[in-house]
Amino acid sequence: MKAPFLSFDAQSLIKELGDFNTKFIKGVGALTEIDEIDVGTAPKELIYQEDKLKLYRYSRNDPNTCRTPVLIVYALVNRQYMLDLQPDRSMIRNMLDHGLDVFIIDWGYPSKVDMYLGLDDYINGYIDNCVDVVREEAKSEQVSLMGICQGGTFSMMYSALNPDKVKNLITLVAPVDFSTNDALLFNWSKYLNIDALVESYQVIPGDFMNGGFLMLMPFNLNIRKYVDMLDVIEDKEKLLNFLRMEKWIFDSPGQAGACIREFIKYCYQENRLAKGELMLGDRLVDLRNITMPLLNIYASGDHLVPPAAIKPLNDLVGSQDKTLYEFKGGHIGVFVGSKSQKELAPAISQWLHDRDSATQSVAETAEESESAGIETASEEATESTSKKPGRRKA
Amino acid sequence: MENTQSYFETWLKAQEKLFDGLIENTKRTQQLFINQQYPGFSGDAGGFSNPYSTWLSAVMKSLSEPGISNQVIKDNLSRIFGGSNAYTKLYEVWLPLMKAAQERSVNPEAYKEYIDPSKYKELIDKVFGFDSEATKLMLNQAVQFLELLSGSGQQFTAPWVDAMKESLGAFPQLAQGHPESFMNMFHSMFNAFDNTVGKVFHVPPVGRDREKLELILRCLDDLSVYAAKNTEYQHTIYITGLTAMDKVVERLAEKITSGEEIKQFDEFFDIWIDTSEQAYYKLFKTEEFAKLQGELLDSSLDVKAHFFKLMESHLSDLPIALRSEMDDLYKTVYDLKKSVKKLEKQLKEKAQ
Repeated sequence: MKAPFLSFDAQSLIKELGDFNTKFIKGVGALTEIDEIDVGTAPKELIYQEDKLKLYRYSRNDPNTCRTPVLIVYALVNRQYMLDLQPDRSMIRNMLDHGLDVFIIDWGYPSKVDMYLGLDDYINGYIDNCVDVVREEAKSEQVSLMGICQGGTFSMMYSALNPDKVKNLITLVAPVDFSTNDALLFNWSKYLNIDALVESYQVIPGDFMNGGFLMLMPFNLNIRKYVDMLDVIEDKEKLLNFLRMEKWIFDSPGQAGACIREFIKYCYQENRLAKGELMLGDRLVDLRNITMPLLNIYASGDHLVPPAAIKPLNDLVGSQDKTLYEFKGGHIGVFVGSKSQKELAPAISQWLHDRDSATQSVAETAEESESAGIETASEEATESTSKKPGRRKA
Repeated sequence: MENTQSYFETWLKAQEKLFDGLIENTKRTQQLFINQQYPGFSGDAGGFSNPYSTWLSAVMKSLSEPGISNQVIKDNLSRIFGGSNAYTKLYEVWLPLMKAAQERSVNPEAYKEYIDPSKYKELIDKVFGFDSEATKLMLNQAVQFLELLSGSGQQFTAPWVDAMKESLGAFPQLAQGHPESFMNMFHSMFNAFDNTVGKVFHVPPVGRDREKLELILRCLDDLSVYAAKNTEYQHTIYITGLTAMDKVVERLAEKITSGEEIKQFDEFFDIWIDTSEQAYYKLFKTEEFAKLQGELLDSSLDVKAHFFKLMESHLSDLPIALRSEMDDLYKTVYDLKKSVKKLEKQLKEKAQ
């Protein structure tokens, strides 16, 4: 006689499944009562428009304490409102509260008429135009460029080509070395016939990209997430939080064919950026031309862009003042996690203030920040690779 | 024009048939859950089947409610439906084992006696969104479409099409078997057809019609390659699912041996999710899988590309803009815009 293998109690199992379905019925009711899922609510003003691109400036109630404006360049794959998902999970509001003058690019939703837009159009066209508008609007010679994920890679390319216009470069979870196989997307991309894909779709549908992301963790992302959601479904606020994230995840613009073709081929498959072989238009993108202060942020548990793809940037740039910041969490947690709000956003603001021109108000803000413990949090979490000890103030 | 009209009629009918198929499939799925019973299982099975009926009607009602226009809510309902479907399907798969455990001792070696592999396959289908019926329907319609384009009066492709239809009927079974046999079968059929009836296509040039016929043959071949790759891909996924199931049982056995008890289904659910995720991650990380996935996509793109070409060829007589013509137009717009922007920038710089 072998030992009993399982000891399920039939009655309790039935009750468990019954409870599960009861939660469902109530949950569906709660779900259908929700009319609107609001995201990106921080007040902002449209200041520039070109084709489908829109450039916004966030409104402030009081003057900014950091003189250099910050231009946020988001990825083309998802929407930029991830940074302002809801008032209490908003990197944007956090940065505004810390005295920054914040601008953001909304890439819009490309259609077939945009299928020929390539990397050169995005970097030397759209981003360059936005940088010029921001400089003019903020009456500043330079901008601080803050690039997110693919937008971070774009920001590296732009900064390497236009170091005179960029005062500081901040990259968040942005890949530069695509030779790694630490994450599935990097491995899969190497076998992707991107020419045939672009030829066929012209603008790669967002759903296609999402299908790939869901395949990274099919059991958690297709099943567990929705089963677990039932535990909070009766709490309207928690349900709304969940739905905001869902809205963001599945709100995926299509990808302009020429651009995604070049990005996959030149970066994922040929690793030209890290090798110093990438040409945009008729110019070589040499990362050694990045000489401005660099804050490179990676997430230790990132399954989309692994640390191995991010960290080498600090060795490839020409900057003397460069900081590598480890965020303990995943790719999305960088923007919406509680640690992001409590530690990362204040640390970014502080890093920018430290490198901004010394003014009365800046000094006051730094003092306030230090007294609020932000400096300590930043230093604890920051692994500085700066060759010059100490912080530099212009 | 007669041929064009007939083409549109058949296309419309094919669309109607597709939607009829979808509706029928949805009905069957609903029925499966509403009538779900577990005979012989001690306990009140109706205790959870009743809420399911209520829940389903609530979902259906809410989805058809005209007041709900929020797409995010609708999409979420659909995803929750999918997630709970899989949760319940897992319950169904493991129910016989639980029942056996309740009645007498079960050991890890014997667990497979209680698991129905076809039900487990359905569960994996839900996780990965496979639908063998839909694949069959899609391939069937594609063949019908090609049959129409080849000229209904001539029935050139009829023998091939008939053979393919028969093979498609066996798709779900083949999906569980050896994928390479599927590929071989299609290629043998294609070669047989090409060497017999297909000879007619190799007659001296007959202009555009000959090109169309060659494209049709190409599409048929593309479809066979796609079907074979799809089968190979799904087969890989299923095999990994079975390996994962073995690991789940191993983990359960380890827990039991160490004195732990698994009393809640949710505990089992967590073990199943984590173990399966690990098993698939291991598979997805291999070069072989990345290559296979790339080939599957490539084969589907071949089908799409040649179908488009064929459609363009048929639509070229109609007074409508074709995709290739629109592509040219988009390119012209792009080039012009780029030139204008460059000139504007130069002017602005000069003015400064």
